[in-house]
Amino acid sequence: MVLGCQMNLSDSERVKSVIEAMGFTPTENEAEASLLGVLSCSVRQKPIDKVYNKIYVWNRQKNHRNIITFVSGCVLPNDREKFLKLFDFVFPMSELNDFPNMLKNYGIVTPLSLNHSNSQLLEGGNKMIFPLPSTTGETPFKPIKKLNQNPDKPILPVNQDIFGLWNVKPSYQSSFEAFVPIQNGCDKFCSFCAVPYTRGREISRPSTDILDEIKSLMAEGYKTITLLGQNVNSYGLDREGELSFAQLLQQIGELGNQLQNPCWVYFTSPHPRDMSRDVIETIATYQVLAKQIHLPLQSGDDQVLIKMNRKHNLDRYRESVGQIRELIPQATLFTDIIVGFTGETEEQFQNTLKSFEEFQFNMAYIAMYSPRPGAQSYRWDDDIPPATKKDRLHNLSETLETISFNYNQKLIGSQVKVLVKDKERKTGFLSGYTEGKIVTRIKSKDVSLIGKFVVLQVTEASGFSIAGELVL
Amino acid sequence: MSETYHHSFHKILNVRHLTENTFIVQLERNGLNFIPGQHLVVGKKGDKEFRQYSIYSGLNEPYFEILVREVAKGSVTPKLKKLVPGDELEINGPMGYFTLSEQRRQSHPIVMIATGTGIAPFHSWVSSFRDMNYQMIHGVRKSEEAYGNGAFRKDRFRLCTSQEINGHFHGRVTEYLKKAYFSPDSLFYLCGNSEMIFDAMEILKTKGMNTNNMFAEVYF
Repeated sequence: MVLGCQMNLSDSERVKSVIEAMGFTPTENEAEASLLGVLSCSVRQKPIDKVYNKIYVWNRQKNHRNIITFVSGCVLPNDREKFLKLFDFVFPMSELNDFPNMLKNYGIVTPLSLNHSNSQLLEGGNKMIFPLPSTTGETPFKPIKKLNQNPDKPILPVNQDIFGLWNVKPSYQSSFEAFVPIQNGCDKFCSFCAVPYTRGREISRPSTDILDEIKSLMAEGYKTITLLGQNVNSYGLDREGELSFAQLLQQIGELGNQLQNPCWVYFTSPHPRDMSRDVIETIATYQVLAKQIHLPLQSGDDQVLIKMNRKHNLDRYRESVGQIRELIPQATLFTDIIVGFTGETEEQFQNTLKSFEEFQFNMAYIAMYSPRPGAQSYRWDDDIPPATKKDRLHNLSETLETISFNYNQKLIGSQVKVLVKDKERKTGFLSGYTEGKIVTRIKSKDVSLIGKFVVLQVTEASGFSIAGELVL
Repeated sequence: MSETYHHSFHKILNVRHLTENTFIVQLERNGLNFIPGQHLVVGKKGDKEFRQYSIYSGLNEPYFEILVREVAKGSVTPKLKKLVPGDELEINGPMGYFTLSEQRRQSHPIVMIATGTGIAPFHSWVSSFRDMNYQMIHGVRKSEEAYGNGAFRKDRFRLCTSQEINGHFHGRVTEYLKKAYFSPDSLFYLCGNSEMIFDAMEILKTKGMNTNNMFAEVYF
């Protein structure tokens, strides 16, 4: 089970590789799985609650069948402590490479280790083999490695170990969309966020490795590549002599020029503080760099931004948007917003509403504030009533829809390039998105087009999508 | 910056209590390098709660220090207050961008504005850089909270006391800013609670100061 952001999705591709290398076969059917795991998310309480629900179910199943459970991903120290009592394995993503050893030390023989093991706990079959369940109903496995039981081991993630994770070749889930991690961790300490305590400080992946992976993906014909990190545009700041983010994009742009395979390269998420003109100029220069920018604002009020410890104000954000409009006028602009942050007044919310009018976002991921244990703001009163938060969410969403509709309506009659991503379950029609990530419905049921670029004549527009017919 | 990054345990060398609830924790340097103004993520060894603290001491000291104010019913600071020499802290860092380049400090007057323990990064700056052209404006309730004022030149230090009249100025730091004159090419560095930072920036804006010349580190 993968919860949370695209970073976890990307990590899951590496988890899959490691597990498959041990000889496990993936299954969609949870009831037949022998090894069950969660990549957790700590951005809000809801995903953490899902983890607790899931492990409760799995642990009940242990009474009548053999399963091994693990949890990794974004986990706060306090949750980790509780998970240690519930899961068989709890480890940070940076220790993924050690997972086979953890299993081995746990007394479990994997199919691929059969030839090298003298374990007496084996029982036939060509899949994962477990010891027989104990008659007492307790798990027969006695964990010998669990996190943080060594008092000399730091509690916070040791982020240098993340290089081991990045060295794992991912099992890409899609044949045309790929995620490439370029950076991990966060040094920004926004007051509403606990990520610095779950993923550790900012660490950049070596640019040579990133470029190798991207080159290979482009050569294989991948249509979109998304560079991932908590603060992608802080890339390189932690490594002496490393490329800057703008330089990295430039190198990717050059690769795109060399290979000439049509591809859109995105990145998420950047931080407004580090959004330099260099980065925007580079995006404008290279065709392969998608003309869509996701720039989290979080609030349109300077006082709230200070309280959020965002390290940028509205003027700084305005400057970046101005540069985007100047250098890449065709770019679409996405953002993230939190409504109902501690102490947010009606006037401050109105400033956020005004910022939507000013910046003309195409899409915004709007969240109602909820305090997260571990984050600075957890200690503050969550004093905005839920009904007010809902109203603000609703108001902002309506404004966004109007702005987005106005933009989309202007596309009617034009031809746009679209990547076909999927088939709608209800109608059977294809769906996809433009370079600007505008959701697109395609009046065709030709599933052979999935994973391909097509040209669409736009005939309809709605709040958050467009629709049209294939241009033959 | 990777060469300066540190994630390890550090032994406490000394704890100096400045007031009833404010104290300085001095730790062994143990190879920790930093840029003055940066902060650390700090927690008691084996504990699961962490907080950020700016480094208080200068670059050239054989140790490093953090300035801590105990938060009543807090989950970290009461534990830190009880620590004694020989105890260990988990330290992760240094991090942050609240730093002052040589180019900036040599080409602009520097105005440092702090409330309470927000003086810590500025204490590190003046202890590290002797060549700064600066003003330090420190807002506190009582003069006993003028932490580390001995590090600042007397003619460049302004203490604003809101609950006593024995500072240089009686009132909040924001009141002082309204009355003070600043050279238009000054760079303003603010450290303290978010309300003070916002109010101070608004006041400086009304005085015609450029927001691009204002830098803030929020303390919570």
